[in-house]
This record gives sequence, C-alpha cells and structure tokens, in this order.
Amino acid sequence: MSYAYLFKYIIIGDTGVGKSCLLLQFTDKRFQPVHDLTIGVEFGARMITIDGKQIKLQIWDTAGQEAFRSITRSYYRGAAGALLVYDITRRETFNHLTTWLEDARQHSNSNMVIMLIGNKSDLESRREVKKEEGEAFAREHGLVFMETSARTAANVEEAFINTAKEIYEKIQEGVFDINNEANGIKIGTVSTPTNPSIGSNLPGGQSSNSCC
Amino acid sequence: MSEFQEQLLHADEERIKICRKYLSGRNNQIIDQWEDPDFGLYYKIDRYGFIHTDKLSRDFDEQERKEKEVEIQRAQKWLKMVKNWNKFKETNREKLQRRIYKGVPDKLRRSIWLKLLNIENQMSQPSDNKNEPSIYNKMLLLGFKYSTEVRQIDNDINRCFRDHEYFRERYSTKQQQLFNVLVAYSMYNMELGYCQGMSTITAVLLIYLDEEEAFWALNTLMIDKKFAMHGLYIVGFPKLMRYLANHDKILTKFLPKLKKFLDKHNMDSVLYSLKWFFVIFVERIPFSLCLRIWDIFFLEGERVLPAMAYTILKLHSTKLLKFKDMDAITDYFQYKLHKNFGYTDNFVIKTLEISLNELRTRKMDLPPPSDNIELPKCELGTFIEPTIEKKLGLRSSCFSDTEKNVTDLVIARSEENGNSLDVIDENLADEMSNLNTVTNISDYEGELSYMDDDLDDEITYTNSHQNRKSLTCTSITSISEDRRSISTLNQQNFEEIVKDDDGEYRFKELISNSIDCNT
Ligand SMILES: Nc1nc2c(ncn2[C@@H]2O[C@H](COP(=O)(O)OP(=O)(O)O)[C@@H](O)[C@H]2O)c(=O)[nH]1
Ligand SMILES: [Mg+2]
Repeated sequence: MSYAYLFKYIIIGDTGVGKSCLLLQFTDKRFQPVHDLTIGVEFGARMITIDGKQIKLQIWDTAGQEAFRSITRSYYRGAAGALLVYDITRRETFNHLTTWLEDARQHSNSNMVIMLIGNKSDLESRREVKKEEGEAFAREHGLVFMETSARTAANVEEAFINTAKEIYEKIQEGVFDINNEANGIKIGTVSTPTNPSIGSNLPGGQSSNSCC
Repeated sequence: MSEFQEQLLHADEERIKICRKYLSGRNNQIIDQWEDPDFGLYYKIDRYGFIHTDKLSRDFDEQERKEKEVEIQRAQKWLKMVKNWNKFKETNREKLQRRIYKGVPDKLRRSIWLKLLNIENQMSQPSDNKNEPSIYNKMLLLGFKYSTEVRQIDNDINRCFRDHEYFRERYSTKQQQLFNVLVAYSMYNMELGYCQGMSTITAVLLIYLDEEEAFWALNTLMIDKKFAMHGLYIVGFPKLMRYLANHDKILTKFLPKLKKFLDKHNMDSVLYSLKWFFVIFVERIPFSLCLRIWDIFFLEGERVLPAMAYTILKLHSTKLLKFKDMDAITDYFQYKLHKNFGYTDNFVIKTLEISLNELRTRKMDLPPPSDNIELPKCELGTFIEPTIEKKLGLRSSCFSDTEKNVTDLVIARSEENGNSLDVIDENLADEMSNLNTVTNISDYEGELSYMDDDLDDEITYTNSHQNRKSLTCTSITSISEDRRSISTLNQQNFEEIVKDDDGEYRFKELISNSIDCNT
C-alpha cells in the first residue's frame, strides 16, 4: 500500500508489562491473552492518517527479559519513535524505567520521540504506581505520558498516533533529516490520489525522490 | 530495616505468593475471568490437543483421518521395536532411522522420546534410602525456596500454549507441572537458570511426558553434547551467534538470490530465525510438522536445525521473492507458515533429508565449533550464589563485555549483509540448480504422501537412502557420562535443607511448609 511516510517504532520495557498486547491491540484491534512469547524481536505494521497523509507505522516489539537486551539493543538504531512501557500494577517495572531510558538514549538517534506508557490501567484495584508518578517521571525526562489498557483498548490508538504526530511535527520543523533512513523515517514511493501534492509539500523543499 | 532488606523481603514475598498459587492449583483461588482465554462456543480440538476457533476445513479432518489410519497400521512394528529397543538400536539402526523419518505414530511418541533421550536411565538413580527424594524433588524444593527465576517463569507460563487444552486454564495441572519443572531446572543448572524459550520447549515435552521425565528430557537437551542447547540460552547466546553466521553462509552459498533479496529488505536472519533455533520451530511451522522435526532432532542431534532452516527457505524461496516489502515477508515468517506450510509434512521431511545431505557434503551442516565451551562449567546441582540484582529482580544497569560483543556482532552482521551483495552474485548460478532439486522431488510428492507401510523395509528411493547411511555415525546415547556427574551431586549441601527435623523426607508437605516458614 502506498504511504507518504513510514515511521519505525520500537516498543520496550520489562517483560510482561503488555508490550505485545499493546501492539496486537493497535494492529488487530483485539486483546489476545493467547499469543506467543516474544523471543528476540517481532514485528507489526499499521497505516494511520495524520494531517490527511497516510503514514505507515512499522513497529518492532522486543523481548523484555534482560538476557535479550544484547540483541534487542541493536534495533534501537534507526527508530523514530519508542514506546517505553511499564505496568501500573508492578512497581519494579516502573523502577526500571531509568535503565531502559538510558539504554534507549544511548543507542538511538537523539531525536527519537519517546512515549512513556503506564499499561494495564483497567486493573485499578491492583494499582501500585500512581498516575501522578508516571506524569512526574515523564516531565522530568522530557517524555510524553499516557496510561493505557491493552485489554480495554483505552488510549492505545492515542499512544501510537500521538507519537506519530510528534514525529510528524518534528519533520515539519525540519528537525529530522528524512533522507537519512537511520532516523527511522522513510518517504513513501507513491502519494495517495487524494494527496497529489505530498511530494512537493515536504519540509525544507526536499524533492519527492523516493528512497526505496 | 534497611531499604535493601526491605527489597529483599519484598522479592521473597512475591516468590512465595507465586509458588503458593501453583501449589494450590486451580481451586482455592480467584482467577479473573479475562485471565483464561475464551474460545467461544464453536471450537475444535485437533489430535494434538490444540484448540482451533476457526472451522477446520474438511481437508484437515480428512488428513487427520488418513494419518491416524497409517499410524494404526504401523503401530505393531513400532511396538516391537520399542520392546527390543537396545537390540534394535545396535543391529538395525538404519531401519530405526528410516522409520523415524517416515513418522513416529503419535501414540508411541512418548515411548520413543523416552528412548531417544535416554530418560529411563537418568531417572533410575541408585539410592540407599528409599525415602530419599529424587534429585528432581530436591531441586524442586530448593527452587521454591531460592530460585530467582520464579517471577519470569510465572510470566511466561501465562502465555505459553494457551490454545492447548492442557495449558488453557490458569494453574491447571499441566501449568503446575510446567512451573515445577522450570523452577527445579533453574536450580539444577544455575549457570543457565531460566531463559525465555525454555518454557516453550518444556511445554512441548510435557504434552507427551510426565513431570519428572520432562525435567530430565529438558536436561538432556541442554547439556548432552548432541543437542547442547545450554549454549543457545546462556548470556550472550554464543551458540545462537554461531548458528546465525552459519545460516547466512548457507544462504550465500545455496540461495544467493534469496539472500540478496532478504538483505535488500533488511531482513536480517535475527529477525526471522530466532524461534527456529531457540524453540526448534515451535509456532513457526504447523505443530504436526514440528513434532516430526523434533523426532528427527532427538535422533540426529543439532545438525537438524541448520538443515531445517535452510529447507524452509528453499521451499519458500519462489514465494518470498515475490514479496514487495518487509511487512509481507515478516508476516509470512511469523504467521503464515505456522498456519499453513503449503507442503505436506512428508514432503518437507524428504526435502529436509536432501538438505542434510547437501550441507554435509559441503561441510556446512554445523557451524565451526566454538573456542569456548558452551556447556555448564560447574557440576550440575551446584549452588551458585545469585547476584544481588538477581535476588531483588532488578535489571542490572551495567552492560557486560559479553553483552556488548553480541550487540556489536548483531549490528556488524546486519551491516555486512547490506554490503555483501556482490559476493552473492557469483553463487547465483548454483541457486538455480538447487531450486531444480526441489522441483525434482516434487515429482514423487504424491507417491510419498501417505506411503504404504509395506514399503517400510525397502529402500524407497536412493536419495534418502544414501542420506541415512551417512547418518549412522551419530550415536543415540552420549548421556551415560553425564549421569555419573549427576550422581556425585553435591549432596551434603542439600541434605540439610531437604530433611525435616526428624530427618525424614516428606516431600509435598515440605514444600508448603518451607514456604510457610519463609513468610
Ligand atoms: N488486565 C490487563 N492485562 C494485560 C494488559 N496488557 C497485557 N496484559 C496481560 O499481561 C500479560 C503479558 O503481556 P505481554 O503483552 O505478553 O507482555 P510483554 O512481555 O510486555 O510483551 C498478558 O498475558 C496479558 O494477560 C492490559 O492492558 N490489561
Ligand atoms: Mg512480548
């Protein structure tokens, strides 16, 4: 399918926080407790529309067990967005955010947009991390924050789409060098018929030369 | 109380809470409805116990029926073979191999696995005290008290084969067994502990074997030289790295066009082949085919893995080359091939035999051996003090050299793949002839589909016959040596922990008691 841009995302965070469920909820619109264990990296994609433009999100879901970080780390490179997920019912997963963030900052490009996500908001009775704590952490580290539930789908669309919006704005501002694929952004080959002018709309007057 | 002590207490409490849940099983606790998968009203369970919500097609039923029929016909021969296993193994190894390649009847799979993995010998340990718990039970008890892997294991059981009748319900008997085996093993082989993927392996074993048998089967797969999966799972995944490098070489040599194509789409082998190697193709190919790969793997050892990886790509090369982008390719590897492989199981096995032969001729059937030993360095059953981080369940913030090397290696390989497009061209001609091999065997696809058992003792076709002959060199049992080190297990260390005050072993009570006094 044709798209104006492709954004590459990674989903990171402790094991069991719901990364794969979030991805599945976003790509397939269902909560699936029956899904396989993520080993290494797995992959999903979905098309969204921002500002009338088709944007394809290519999402890399990673294994959370510490042993796998030596492999998953190499996929931080070349991501334009990251969802950093913790589980609001398990404090350790929140405590580990600092090391995850360090990891991500060290191995990705500096412009990567990071969205902090407190997942399993449907389990209010088991909550161990207050929403305010998540907000404070995000503020302190310059992240966008949201609480989601992969089970009820609450805020899941928003989390993925808001991240895309931020990336899109950064492109508009000329912050991202979109000709360098290492930034996790690709310009699509064909524009949609309803948007014949996408190519020439690119910021910085770049030509619509395809990159593929 | 210091913060550290508090954290330690918290980690302890959490472990105990989880262990309790598995000890009490499904009764006596509240399980939220959403935690058990809902399969709706109409579902069907296939012959291996997997639940399908989409209607299975008539072809599927028909195929199951045929498979069962053939298996019933073969059962007699198999029974005889199992009875006279040792004799058969020595004098008739070739026939044994041929039969296993043709397919183990599912009803006999348990017996065959027990034999191939030499489980019975491992379990019949000499003991002076009849009341003394087995090594397994000791490890289990210790695991409940000390394992630092409980949280992760629990996490992974929660998403292991939830579409199988055995594992569908939270804290079901098989889930309990899966928990026990993994916790016990994390204690027995503390250098390894628990790594994601081991849950899947153990779950497949538990579909056929009992709890304690599965423990020893898992151990065999990890530490027997023939399989040596220990090296796949330990820090830095040394064996995986060697497999991946070898896999890339195989592609460059035999499927250069496909290799070039995958490289162009940034489809690094790390992205599609991890489950092939880590969990021996589970959930990446249909379960019926997977079982047959497992049977052959148990017979032949690790060289089956590179050959099967190559076989998958060989059979699907034409299809893959048509894909336009990475999404389609990953979708194919992640989901499509699991749902429908596109070839009959028998046909795939034939192709696998040919692949084994091809790779052996070129000496590419196994990656070059490693400089470091990828087997446990300590005697099994030795207690290794976990790090503070492990004890508290913390992510360690520093990154070891081994880990750094792996990251660099993965990055370097993916970059190298991007640059190596020229070398590949030279091998392009070869690839055409390889693809021809595939078309050739498809000529007798029909004939092979459900072969009559009368052919069993004859040489059905030359190609695979040659194959089998050269396979004879692999020995079935290399475990006996390891048994010895198991029996000299660090006894004193555990005696005190396992015996209760009167010096008696009462296992089940012991577990719950030991957990109680911990609280
Ligand atoms: N109640 C609830 N459970 C969730 C949610 N997301 C995930 N889970 C559960 O958490 C488990 C682990 O999720 P998974 O996506 O596999 O975690 P990952 O390791 O981060 O990929 C799943 O089996 C789900 O049962 C959520 O939003 N609400
Ligand atoms: Mg996952």
